[in-house]
Amino acid sequence: MPSVMLAPTPGIATFLKHLKHNPVDASIENFVSLLKRRQIRSSRPCAIATTHLLLKVVATFRDRDVAKLVERIRSVGQQLIAAQPREMAVGNIVRRVLGLVREIAEDDADENPDSTSMGDSGYLPYSNLEPSGLPTHFSNFSPPKHGSALPQKSGLSQSDSNGGDDNSGQGAVAVEKQLDRRPPLLTSHTSYVASAMAPQVTSLFGLLSHPHTPSPTATPPLGTQSPVMKPGLTSRVLATIPDASAAKVDIKAEVLEGIRELLDELDQADDQIAAYALDHIHSNEIILTHTSSTTVQRFLLAAARKRKFTVIHAEAYPNDYLETHATIMQGRQKSAVGDDEDERWSPLTALGITVIMIPDSAVFAIMSRVNKVILSPHTVLANGGLVAAAGALTIAQAASVHKTPVIAVSGVYKLSPVYPFDTEELIEYGDAGRVAEFQDGEMVESIEVVNPLFDYVSADLVDLYITNLGGHAPSYLYRIVADHYRAEDVNL
Amino acid sequence: MAPSVGGDPAAPTDTAASQSAPDGSSKAAIDGAQTSKTSAIASSGKQENGVANGETKASGAEAKKRAKAEKAAKREREKAERAGAGGTAAGPQASEQGGQSSGALKPTQNQQKGQKDRQGEAKAQAQAQTSSKDAKASHKRTGSVSAANAQRPLALRRRPSQSGGQAKESKQIVKEVGLFGHLYNQPRRYTIEGASKAVHPAVLALGLQMSSYTICGSSARCVAMLLAFKKAIEAYSTPKETSLPRHMSSHYLSPQIDFLKTCRPISVSMGNAIRWLKDQIIHIDPDTDDGEAKAELCAGIDQFIRERITVAGSAIAASASTKIKPGDVILTYAKSALVEQTLLRAHEAGTDFRVIVLDSRPLFEGKNLARALARAGLRVQYMLLSAAPHAAKEATTVLLGAHAMMSNGRLCSRVGTAVVAMLAHARAIPVIVCCESVKFTDRVALDSIVQNEIAPSEELLLPSAAAGVADGGSLAKWKETPGLQLLNIMYDVTPAEYIDMVVTEFGFLPPSSVPVVHRISTERDVRT
Repeated sequence: MPSVMLAPTPGIATFLKHLKHNPVDASIENFVSLLKRRQIRSSRPCAIATTHLLLKVVATFRDRDVAKLVERIRSVGQQLIAAQPREMAVGNIVRRVLGLVREIAEDDADENPDSTSMGDSGYLPYSNLEPSGLPTHFSNFSPPKHGSALPQKSGLSQSDSNGGDDNSGQGAVAVEKQLDRRPPLLTSHTSYVASAMAPQVTSLFGLLSHPHTPSPTATPPLGTQSPVMKPGLTSRVLATIPDASAAKVDIKAEVLEGIRELLDELDQADDQIAAYALDHIHSNEIILTHTSSTTVQRFLLAAARKRKFTVIHAEAYPNDYLETHATIMQGRQKSAVGDDEDERWSPLTALGITVIMIPDSAVFAIMSRVNKVILSPHTVLANGGLVAAAGALTIAQAASVHKTPVIAVSGVYKLSPVYPFDTEELIEYGDAGRVAEFQDGEMVESIEVVNPLFDYVSADLVDLYITNLGGHAPSYLYRIVADHYRAEDVNL
Repeated sequence: MAPSVGGDPAAPTDTAASQSAPDGSSKAAIDGAQTSKTSAIASSGKQENGVANGETKASGAEAKKRAKAEKAAKREREKAERAGAGGTAAGPQASEQGGQSSGALKPTQNQQKGQKDRQGEAKAQAQAQTSSKDAKASHKRTGSVSAANAQRPLALRRRPSQSGGQAKESKQIVKEVGLFGHLYNQPRRYTIEGASKAVHPAVLALGLQMSSYTICGSSARCVAMLLAFKKAIEAYSTPKETSLPRHMSSHYLSPQIDFLKTCRPISVSMGNAIRWLKDQIIHIDPDTDDGEAKAELCAGIDQFIRERITVAGSAIAASASTKIKPGDVILTYAKSALVEQTLLRAHEAGTDFRVIVLDSRPLFEGKNLARALARAGLRVQYMLLSAAPHAAKEATTVLLGAHAMMSNGRLCSRVGTAVVAMLAHARAIPVIVCCESVKFTDRVALDSIVQNEIAPSEELLLPSAAAGVADGGSLAKWKETPGLQLLNIMYDVTPAEYIDMVVTEFGFLPPSSVPVVHRISTERDVRT
């Protein structure tokens, strides 16, 4: 291993350095090229890089208009997501920041009495999910659409979003015609203005009677946590807010504060997850895991300080086995992200834990003696399913055959609001040369070689998710999605 | 002192250590060669002991007490010596009463001194034991003690750094996975060094070919073994006093078989073939001429290979290839000769289909199959086992080979087969196993742990790691890392419910019919 490198390998460390010294747009370009060339991979580095980048974007944002800030973040986000759609962590962070901005602007608007606290529903229903670039088929009669509100066709801030609007718009028209017969219900909301502004309704009746309004009781009420619905953020509403420059500076400062908190969350996610380790691991257990995930290793290390157990570690050949071997032998010696000193951790063997390394083929053979399986996903999806490194589906299925519980550990930043209509789209394919070398002429000429990097594991194979917020069943994840993301941001 | 107490360096408690004293040699099985050798010496030392005394009673408790006393005596003597007190007159008395708490440390300290020291110690111990037994209360045999003492200074050189390090070293020695501990006594041999003279050169060569995976695969090994035995039989000549049927099996064939077993554990098909061969030998008329008998045996072997393997294989290929329809996507795992035959047969028949070959570390047998099929003109896709779910999405049929079919309908095959069968079953893809009846066995299996073959862990190392290159990330130093074990099993057992059909030379069977067919095929060979 060379100790002196002429130029550092491009990756997150170089990106962060670049970010410090260069203007924002250059950094965006740099990040986009890193993503495209897969020089920055795996959820955590991507999330951290995106957060830093957005921090700089917001910091260098000169305008006073919150709507413009939202636009700016959205456009940056679209660029990043388009660079690597399967790196869902990037999109998650962008959506988190957008949600943050909207929330802060709304809080500000609430405090500001001049603004009409009730605006038209700038809400897109939760059903309108169409991640850019990933083809999906969306039925007009799907359940989310039926119960929830339908978008207005009037010009909204989302008017410049891509074609997804049109599809749902047409559907909206169809359903509208059937349903708008009854008069709207009176609600507790103070300013019930005429029908130009859609009234707030709090009952399902009102929902069916007035399809223009999103119902706060429909599940999930994205972005709202109070029974009284917060008004949507529209350019109309924002335009009516008086131009108080003091308030705008506050907003920017608060957004920066929020993004820094997000950074802290990313840093502490592993520690917070590891804090739950002792709740889930007992003595003399045999735990199966695979790949070199930091989260899993730190989870096990936290338990290893107090309990003695055995870990069976499946090397993830061919994509992660070198890192897995390194993790088993040495733990993590230097951090890949920035210059964090506390990124180092010792291997499990140093704490007296027996680690048995097995090739992936032996997973079924030993599964009957395994007490639990711990997986680390690449992305967690809102339906409770997850995308993890190749081999995870085999392990999860073998575990389900043997009735062994499967635990997935991940930070909330990996949780994506995107619904996987087509699970094929989520799988990234890697270098076929790792499976069969290119020097092997016979194989290269006549044999097709495929190297999928990920597996999609459906929600019924996972028993528990442990996130930095605690443990949840897969059926609860949609709630966490609702807490962290906004409906109008899902479709960037 | 240490060896006679028991070669177990990991004795955590005094009681364990002292109780192992009389039968220390048996405990040494887990530890390395060193300690087993020393316990052998120790047991011989003890025998000297008993013979010398003439008072060796078989009472276990008494023997234990005696051993404890001896141990304590020896400890006291060492202590006294080190303190420089010289003549250990008071030693044995004091030692018999107490001082056992220090025992755990001392025997382990001495472990590291090396074999020679232990040998010296053992002899010294024997003498010391003798003397202490006779002395009982008072001890005046300064002569023998000093002689023993004279040998001891070498052994007792104390290295303080090692007293703490002992515990670590004992943990490092455990490189065997606990669950599979009963399988680690299967040897592997890579040289012909130490082989018995009776082993025929053809068998020597075969043994090495098997241990290096040059000849790999159940049927291939069976055929190769029978051919090597043919050569060995041709070279055989019956000694004067005995007859061929009585002598050949136990005195000529057995060393060959034992040698093969030391090279690599034999497969089920090889076991069945050996049983058949021995049966053939026994049933030879003792009056027949040697040459005739040998020719008969060789012809019998040829017929066995032809019937049970060659013709059976081709019959299976023919029937299984009828299960391949145009447009099929056949999924297979690793390399099975029968599956290869089947696919080639179907391809020759003109059926249009394609094949996905799955493969895994460390043997990569699937690469050979993929190449062979591609050479024959089939459309082949090659993937690793981690991509198995991806492959299973497109597959219409799964064809698997077998190492053995168990009598409870389970399939024993290359490790990873169960994964493929499970994924196929989850997607309702038919799983077809191609297996000759020579691979059927009476044994039953419920898991892949009780009966299996453990290959040396070094095979799991990547080539650079195996060569000892100090690449920081690789597993080059896995042996020195305490608590790290590499598990390299060769077979796994697939549950019967994942298998839809077994194709044998007798036709298509459900896995539950395997014991019935096994009975039929063995009855057929038994001459009544």
